[in-house]
Amino acid sequence: MSFILGTSLLAVVTALACALPGAFVVLRRNSMLVEGIAHAVLPGIVVGYAFTLDLNSPWLIVGAALAGLLVVLCNEWLIRTGLLTGDAPQGLVFPALFAAGIILITLDFNHVHLHTHVVLVGDLNLAAFHQLVVNGVSIGPRYLYVMLAVLIVNVAFIAIFYPKLKVTTFDDQFAMVLGMRTKLLNTAFMFLVSVTVVAAFHAAGALLVISLVVVPAATAHLISQRLSVMLVLTALFAVVGALAGFWIAYVLNAATSAGMAVFYGFMFVAVAFIDKLAIRVRRYRRAEAASAGRPAGNLGIEGLLAKPRYAFAAQRRQEESGRRDGSAPAADTQAAE
Amino acid sequence: MVDPIEFFGNHTFRMVFFGTTVIGLVAGALGSFAYLRKQSLISDVIAHSALPGALLAFLTAVVVLGVSGRNMLGLIVGAVTTGTLAALFANSIAARTKIRIDTAMAISLTVFFGAGMIVLRIIANGPFPGKGGIEDYLFGNASVITIADLATSTAVGALALILMLVFWKEFTLRTFDPVHSTVLGFRASVIDTLMFTTIVIAIVIGVQAVGVVLMIAVVVTPPAAARQWTSTLPGMVALSGAFGAIGSGVGAYLSIAVGNIPTGPVIVLTLFVIFLVSLLASPRRSVITTTLRRARARESLRRELLTETTDR
Amino acid sequence: MSTGPIACQTRNLSVAYRADPVLRRVHFSVPVGSVMGIIGPNGAGKSTLIKAMLGLVTPLTGTSEFFGQPLDQVRRRIGYMSQSTSVDWDFPTTVIDLVTMGTYGELGWIRRPGKAERARAMASLEQTGIPELASWQIGELSGGQRQRAFLARTLVQAPDLYFMDEPFQGIDAKSQQAMVDVLKDLRAQGKTIVIVHHHLATVRDYCDHVTLLNGSVVASGPADTAFTKENIRTAYKAREGAEAFLETAV
Repeated sequence: MSFILGTSLLAVVTALACALPGAFVVLRRNSMLVEGIAHAVLPGIVVGYAFTLDLNSPWLIVGAALAGLLVVLCNEWLIRTGLLTGDAPQGLVFPALFAAGIILITLDFNHVHLHTHVVLVGDLNLAAFHQLVVNGVSIGPRYLYVMLAVLIVNVAFIAIFYPKLKVTTFDDQFAMVLGMRTKLLNTAFMFLVSVTVVAAFHAAGALLVISLVVVPAATAHLISQRLSVMLVLTALFAVVGALAGFWIAYVLNAATSAGMAVFYGFMFVAVAFIDKLAIRVRRYRRAEAASAGRPAGNLGIEGLLAKPRYAFAAQRRQEESGRRDGSAPAADTQAAE
Repeated sequence: MVDPIEFFGNHTFRMVFFGTTVIGLVAGALGSFAYLRKQSLISDVIAHSALPGALLAFLTAVVVLGVSGRNMLGLIVGAVTTGTLAALFANSIAARTKIRIDTAMAISLTVFFGAGMIVLRIIANGPFPGKGGIEDYLFGNASVITIADLATSTAVGALALILMLVFWKEFTLRTFDPVHSTVLGFRASVIDTLMFTTIVIAIVIGVQAVGVVLMIAVVVTPPAAARQWTSTLPGMVALSGAFGAIGSGVGAYLSIAVGNIPTGPVIVLTLFVIFLVSLLASPRRSVITTTLRRARARESLRRELLTETTDR
Repeated sequence: MSTGPIACQTRNLSVAYRADPVLRRVHFSVPVGSVMGIIGPNGAGKSTLIKAMLGLVTPLTGTSEFFGQPLDQVRRRIGYMSQSTSVDWDFPTTVIDLVTMGTYGELGWIRRPGKAERARAMASLEQTGIPELASWQIGELSGGQRQRAFLARTLVQAPDLYFMDEPFQGIDAKSQQAMVDVLKDLRAQGKTIVIVHHHLATVRDYCDHVTLLNGSVVASGPADTAFTKENIRTAYKAREGAEAFLETAV
């Protein structure tokens, strides 16, 4: 396999492995928690690397992923103590863990040679350097198969738990009354996200992996009316973004993850903009149809792509702001109901 | 290892120490408002997004103006611009689409930081004078701070603090009663803008010493620690400023004294220790005593509720 | 107290938020076939009561029983209609999908909702009078339509015992009528309904049994004996809304 083909395939597989769980991360409003996980796994990676000398070692990946889970659990615990306000618990633990990782690296801990630039944004070319050779024939970067394994695990997890993930994400309490173990599912899911983040570290670094996880799913969320459609679109945006980002980075001689992050951002804005435009056009057409006495349903294929009418947007916003006030973990003032 | 006498005997080191202390003081004090308004994480977005601004300021200075790229004022202007744009971008996504604020922040943060990393690579690959050590914006390096830098960041930081003191009454009102203080009328949005601007300034003056990656800790950790010791706003702002100052000063000292360690991570760890001590040992809100007290109160309540039934 | 079979009951149920009691020693039972209204002022612990019974909130003391058994034995016979404001209506799903979620409790590890489940979901939508909205994105629904979709999601489980948290909140007259019709149907079928309600004037229209709650049970039983002026006054103390209601009604 040629180097450029292997490397671009690696970019695509990494993007897919990160983006699919990202759909649930976005819907569960855990996006900034992924930021925390991605930073917190660094000391785990450094220490693991010192012992295994292999960023793709499964021991390193699982071990460092536990550090990511630590951030999730610490966050939940800090919220429960009621001693902190707002989103501060999410911002307290991960910088310290990340700082510890950086200090370990600069102190040359156990002769770990990780360039800080690689730590931040990864280096896809370096990651793709070690080729897997079978019978004297190169079958692409070894790392490609690591990410492929992670992708398969993620797809399998989502496929097996799809109904459970769907109902717990939408209405946690309803799922609990149905008898689902929602907390266990959530912890397992966040651990999987953590594993994915660690595995993608080599390719995307600690800082931009959050883009790979969150942005394709957010873009798909803008125009999806069904979860299954959102997952398909998420995969599509991830692949397009990976290839385009790879190309941008190649042209500018910059890190692939940086190219992907920027392209993902433009893609998000473009989709949001086109979506707004489409709503305006449809609203105009609907007004015309209404004045002509025709029904303005949104069934069929048009319904699949059709957008909410936002007729109740104002009311909904109001309800939500009320809910947010009530449910925010306001440490000092929260009431039970 | 540089010992303290040698450290403070050296004019540059002394200035660096006091300079970073001022940065910590400003960030800690103003971070209190971000903390109390429950918007701590937006500071992460602003800090990361300061990178492209700082780098573009460098490029503009070198390429367009033909002057030295290491100008603190230029850095601050650039960083404030992109930091503010990123925060507005995140808020506008959350307001105009169905994407929630946490995801909106993640999108904004990664786009701006990704762009910053691309610009960084362009600078690294290009023939720009004075580009050595430009990567220090990532994790901070207090030892390259010049007297002129120091004077600028101190002046800008002082300006932010003065704004806070002048509008103290309005800031307090907005922080504790965002709904009812709309009686301030149009001034509510002016006060919000002002408060936001001071917070952005507090964040970006730390870019050189602490770096964009970990600046969030200097804004979030001191108020979270201070909150465990005090319940009043003046107390919190003062204590948070003090914690920020101590953490930054000690961090800067250690990073220079030990040598070859970026300043940001050391400052962050120092602040984290202060936070842990506050969480464990504060007399009224120690996590240990609070948990015990709560468990005991629940247990006695449980017993009371159980015994009274048997009477019935 | 009624002497018939009991659909659910709590014994000495108390809930505390941290160390502050929200519910104190709640004893009450719901006879099979009744519509029990949980009535009380804001902060009385109405939602907390049914959440504690359903295991969503851990009680400090006490137990709950359903048809004489603990919750885990009889989950399939219990339906819960949560408050519609508790979820994100921008979630990418259609109304029929939302209603089908009610069948997820019966699916094992492998089975996915198929034609049979969707047909049942459609029947529930017809029951609540919104079959034409089946393919709508849930964010398009009005407040009343949301409540009806939530009711349909509970109906699809075909439970014997319903818990409804503020089903009439933010609802239009048409939706209200549709929901009242469903409630009447359920009652005619001998189902039991526990309903959190805060609008005093309509209590009598929906409920034949009432539990007046204000941190603890003020009165519980058939509406005629429990829903009295004196009990309401005790539960609401001197709240304006209740005073106005007492002037005109009962």
